[in-house]
Amino acid sequence: MKRIAITTAVICLGLPAMAQDFSEGSEAKSWNLAAEKPARFEATVVDMLCELTGDCAENCGDGKRQLGLLRAADDVLIYPNKNSQPAFTGAALELAPYCGATVEVDGLMIEDPELGATNIYLVQKIREVGESEWVTANSWTKKWAEAHPDAEGEGPWFRRDPRVNGMIEESGYLGLGLEADAAFIEEWF
Amino acid sequence: MGRISRLAALACLLPGAALAAEGERIEVRGEIIDTWCYYSGVMGGPEAVVGTAHHTCALWCSAGGIPVGLLGEDGEVYMVLKIEGDDASASGDTQLRLASHEVTADGMLYERDGLNYLVVEEVVTDHGITNLSHDIYGPVPGFAIPEPAK
Repeated sequence: MKRIAITTAVICLGLPAMAQDFSEGSEAKSWNLAAEKPARFEATVVDMLCELTGDCAENCGDGKRQLGLLRAADDVLIYPNKNSQPAFTGAALELAPYCGATVEVDGLMIEDPELGATNIYLVQKIREVGESEWVTANSWTKKWAEAHPDAEGEGPWFRRDPRVNGMIEESGYLGLGLEADAAFIEEWF
Repeated sequence: MGRISRLAALACLLPGAALAAEGERIEVRGEIIDTWCYYSGVMGGPEAVVGTAHHTCALWCSAGGIPVGLLGEDGEVYMVLKIEGDDASASGDTQLRLASHEVTADGMLYERDGLNYLVVEEVVTDHGITNLSHDIYGPVPGFAIPEPAK
């Protein structure tokens, strides 16, 4: 019994220390962020709300819920905040097809103790464990375009999104109302 | 790994799994923010990516499926997973409507691997947008407000 207890303590204390550096083999592209570090690892794709609270949805919420990466090496829950597109786009839609699957991901980990940022991830590439081909995590804008056929036109998606434009038309770019917006714009430009 | 080591590893992992289901009821006041810009520094320092300066970007990021958080008066970020029954934490309507708003929220706090997660049971008070950061920073990013045609 004593031997089990000692081994338990050693393994429990040792696991986090063993799992600190995941940059080996990473081919992630830098975003020149001060707190970024390349990170490539295997993980299970989980529904964050389900994982944390037991409130689970079928198929991880079909992309409507935030998804997490439960890292295989140390059981740490990684929060993918961002996909690989420089376009104000998250990672949930990229990971949704892999709900419950064991995947390998490559990307950038954000660790900034001053801001409390830890285990925050920008996912650039995904593949199921055992697959040889990577899938680039850049499908968000294509999926948005498919879901918004009436929003065709010039400019990036965020200038054409009906919900965003509705909010701006209602309360302005600053969110303070159209009168405050007009006064600021006149002064600023 | 021997049998004892396997048992030990299992014993090590089980408490974590059990703790994951435990939450704490809290009331917290703060701003609904765009967590990627806040954590990554991609748009500048943390003071520049909150409030009115960053409101348009906060709308874009929320609609774009980037997780929203509640930046509490205590300086902690609480990653929001559900608001008043709306579990659409990736691009959902409820969180989009609250972008940049200061709210007082009652809910359940879950802590895991260094991050705080919040399930908002009730937005007790929506104080509206109170951080007038555009007075200092202008629009962040600079192109958030299109230059008017002359």
